[in-house]
Amino acid sequence: MSRLLDIRDLCIGFDAYGQHRRVLHNVDLHVNEGERVSLIGQSGSGKTVTMRTIIGTLPMPPGKVEQGSIHYNGQSLLDLNKQDRNRLKGTGISIVLQDPMLSFNPVLTIGRQMDDVIRYGDMRLGISRARTERRAHMIETLKKVQLTDGNRVLDSYPMMLSGGMRQRVLIGMALLNKPRLLIADEPGTALDVTTQDEILALLNRLVAEEGLSLLLITHNLGVVREMADRVYVMERGHIVETGTRDEIFDAPKHAYTRQLMAAVPPLYGAGVKTTRHEGTHPIINVNAVTKTFETRSGWLNRVTGNFRAVSNVSLTVQQGDIFGIAGESGSGKTTLAKIIMGLTKPSLGAVQIDGRLLDGFAGTQDFRKLIQIVYQNPGSSLNPRRTVGDQLAVPLKFTGFDKTATKRRISELLDLVELPQNYAAMYPHELSGGQKQRVAIARALSVNPKILVLDEPTSALDVLVQSTVIDLLHDLRREFDLTYVFISHDLSLMRNFCNRVAVMLRGEVVETGPVAEIFDTPQHPYTRALLSAIPVISPEEDARKPKVSKEERAAVLATSTELEDT
Amino acid sequence: MFTYLFKRAFTLLFVLLGLAVLIFVIARIVPGDPARIALGPLATAEQVTKLQNEMGLNDPYPVQLWTYLSGLVQGDLGKSLLTSRPVMDDIMGALPATFELVLFTVVLQILISIPLGVIAAIYRNTWIDSVLRVISLLGVVTPGFVLAIILQLIAAHYLGFFPVTGRIDPGIGFSAEITGLLTIDGLIAGRFDVVIDALRHLFLPAIALAAAGIGQVMRITRTAMIEVSSRDFVEASRAYGIPERVVTFRYMLRVASVAPLTILGLEFASLIGNAFIVEFVFSWPGIASYGVRTILQKDLNAVIGVVLVSGVFFVVANLAIDLLLGILDPRHRIRAGRGS
Repeated sequence: MSRLLDIRDLCIGFDAYGQHRRVLHNVDLHVNEGERVSLIGQSGSGKTVTMRTIIGTLPMPPGKVEQGSIHYNGQSLLDLNKQDRNRLKGTGISIVLQDPMLSFNPVLTIGRQMDDVIRYGDMRLGISRARTERRAHMIETLKKVQLTDGNRVLDSYPMMLSGGMRQRVLIGMALLNKPRLLIADEPGTALDVTTQDEILALLNRLVAEEGLSLLLITHNLGVVREMADRVYVMERGHIVETGTRDEIFDAPKHAYTRQLMAAVPPLYGAGVKTTRHEGTHPIINVNAVTKTFETRSGWLNRVTGNFRAVSNVSLTVQQGDIFGIAGESGSGKTTLAKIIMGLTKPSLGAVQIDGRLLDGFAGTQDFRKLIQIVYQNPGSSLNPRRTVGDQLAVPLKFTGFDKTATKRRISELLDLVELPQNYAAMYPHELSGGQKQRVAIARALSVNPKILVLDEPTSALDVLVQSTVIDLLHDLRREFDLTYVFISHDLSLMRNFCNRVAVMLRGEVVETGPVAEIFDTPQHPYTRALLSAIPVISPEEDARKPKVSKEERAAVLATSTELEDT
Repeated sequence: MFTYLFKRAFTLLFVLLGLAVLIFVIARIVPGDPARIALGPLATAEQVTKLQNEMGLNDPYPVQLWTYLSGLVQGDLGKSLLTSRPVMDDIMGALPATFELVLFTVVLQILISIPLGVIAAIYRNTWIDSVLRVISLLGVVTPGFVLAIILQLIAAHYLGFFPVTGRIDPGIGFSAEITGLLTIDGLIAGRFDVVIDALRHLFLPAIALAAAGIGQVMRITRTAMIEVSSRDFVEASRAYGIPERVVTFRYMLRVASVAPLTILGLEFASLIGNAFIVEFVFSWPGIASYGVRTILQKDLNAVIGVVLVSGVFFVVANLAIDLLLGILDPRHRIRAGRGS
């Protein structure tokens, strides 16, 4: 088998602010013709730098190749002149970037963007095709990614398509100039798990049908298991382990690989931890709550319809529960959380927190001392211009702490979330993602609440960091007898963290109960579809995933190949 | 697109009505009796009262407002005390000169500031960026009239190529009768000497007027371009092999141009304000010199007319910018069309 891509001994450094930092150390990596190779590692490990060096979009300076070579199809990429190098872009090597929302120019139609890709690709190869020919080629390519209504897709702007469709178009874009090597950066991870599942299946099929080679860059081990023949594990710029998929998954040798594997929360099997808790008195009572939003249109902005974000939901959360609310984007889980937090008023129904009705209670100081929230992205929920100490002081100030008491409390809080005392003087940008989330948790705990709403608290974090934050949350709950409402789309994590879950679909709770029961014997087809779509890391888990028939799936899920009516 | 246009035009009507009422109120609040000023200190009290009655100044305010608004709808702004001619005629005579100047200024602003902003973004943190930064700061901090005088001195007096005052060389003997704009009418008549002479006259006042806006819009373009350059789609376009030139202008600038264009629209208000001074310095026969004279004379009808015309200018310019944004960015259009 010939090597299509061959990276040898590659070292890359960056010069920034007068300092030199090496980010890739002697990287050896190759992709054979027709092979699917995965490069895994956490954020900051050097995966993206590797990708950008291969396709030639790494800005140099500040980046610099210090030694080593990259060969594509026998040609040395680093020695090619600019013109020859550009000729390979899109036509030899192409990419699918992670976020299908951000990877399109928002102000040009899909057709225009695809047309540019074809036209300039042709130009570099010295061919010219008529407009109609190019359009036919686009429609044909869209068919390959299972978008049959090509004409409508081409005339749409990116914002008019769903996430899954955009991801499909993005893959189509990469295929337009018939590349031989496709580099995919976290494909589908920005999407819902059921859509991701479709996208991964599509990529696998395309690689086989089009005779492509695939270099997949990801941090998701489940995706790797479904998508790769061979795997490279990268840690801080070093390739620490490489082998076939089965070698890596069955017998990981390097300590780092083993750590990564162990940090992935298992969906089924012996490794699953079940949180057991039987609460005796209810602390949150959601009674037949409905929230409708009006949709407006026309010249005079008249109300033309209603959209039910939450529809007749009833839930009871017991004191001490870790109550999971699962669902995909648009399922209403965030609206429900806002209602519980008293941030949005329900249209119908009532909510009781700690035995008191929310009406008139929400927004009072007592209420704020009872329930607090931790947001998904600590990078944006912390104020970048305030020190950690200042941020922790804000809620204290509003709940009547004086100066010395505030200082003492801040120091206690830092201890609680296991951060050193001197962090009080630091700014958020000096902290890692996990540390920032600890600060956010400390801030939520500052007024001694009884309930924490956790809105995807670990989804912006790497798995290793995720597991430490989850451990911290467990400890805190035990110590302070906290109740958690945990909102997430990550069902594997939910299985290991929560004791009860509710599954939401289009504003309704379709299934609720103790976590083991829901996961082991899911009743609703949607729950089964969700569970079966999760990429897992062992054949044992795969075997135990629930089965869902095509008809059942179609009944509860829209596929990402249909245009929405907007 | 049609709905979008219609909606914008509809709101425009209300803005203008509000503006008309506001000016009316302000004109009544400002101290000083226009009839007294018009007749001079020697007139008797009876004469003043008579003129007040003729002008309707003694009617109740609602009646005055009604007369004023109904006149406005028919294009009647009343008579000017200063020139004793209908205000509408005075304004229509002076407006084309100002319109031509302002239009040329905006064109200069767009043609200079956006490309320079793009260049500053591409060469950011190099000496090119630093030089452009200094230029833009100078443009922002130099008051229009100071720049106007400096330009007159250097470019016109020492270099002698650009004329110091006026719209056109009186020796050419050409009057713009179709659109009132010398450059356009010159083109229509095929008189290229007229076009060139008019452009020579336009250049200095337009630069003096444009400088502040150029400096500001340049910086905003630079910032917007730098922000856009880190978006994923830019990297994607490069990786698909789209040439750098196309990535910069079609992909990045189109997204980045929203902020600078919005600012240009708002800048329009200060443009008309500054035109008053710049026109004065360059003896430009525009609406500004008329405006200044009428304000000093408290020629109420004329002041209202001038302010109203400036207001229309501003509102129409912003409508034009909105339409342009709608064309450049489909999200504006789709959102407005949906009405959410």
